[in-house]
Amino acid sequence: MRQPSQPSDIPEPPFPPAESPDGVDLTLIQWTLSLTPLERLELLQDWVDGLAELRDGRVAER
Amino acid sequence: MAESRSVKFLGLLRALLRHRVDFLVVGGVAAQLEGAPILTLDLDVLYDKAPENLGRLLAALRELNACYRDPAGRHIEPDLAKLETLRLHLLRTDLGALDVLGEIGNGQTYQDLVDRTVSYELGEVRVRVLELAAVIETKEQANREKDRAVLLVLRQTLRMKTQVLADLLLGQKEDGK
Repeated sequence: MRQPSQPSDIPEPPFPPAESPDGVDLTLIQWTLSLTPLERLELLQDWVDGLAELRDGRVAER
Repeated sequence: MAESRSVKFLGLLRALLRHRVDFLVVGGVAAQLEGAPILTLDLDVLYDKAPENLGRLLAALRELNACYRDPAGRHIEPDLAKLETLRLHLLRTDLGALDVLGEIGNGQTYQDLVDRTVSYELGEVRVRVLELAAVIETKEQANREKDRAVLLVLRQTLRMKTQVLADLLLGQKEDGK
């Protein structure tokens, strides 16, 4: 008798591509588009501050 | 105030607004505000060259202790004559690197681009930001290596942003049926 299909038999839906054909990370763009403009500016400020800390050899306490 | 090791974007914008400077946010910060994940280490603004605005801009720059980022290490401060005649002012300030531009792309001015902006509220600050399609156009016109390097990300962001807006409009239309 044929057994009912196990969950593992069901094919997974394909992941949407994480990169464009020319190598652009689409997940990063999706993420920034999901933020408000103020959050985007704060994100940029965090990156810049983080880079300055790295440049100065300091590690910020989080 | 000591010169900042990293740029303070909101602080620079507040200083310009406090002096009622007419300017547009352009370049990497405009791209980031429009949703493109672009890292930039300075703030680029395009200023209106109207005489009354030059005075306000100069007052803001003085408050920020701005001077040119001179490779020879000389201390050169901006003045009205320079703001009126030069196209590009790469400055260091108490709040980090500030690029004050009279023109961008292939010679486009504040007046040419002011209608291609989006108004963004950033906390208590409201600024005009060059829209992403115009950022892309000005970088294509400039056609420098550093501009070409980010164009792929900017164009992909514009495509995805346009798609998100189209999906939103379609959803609203279907909800209204």
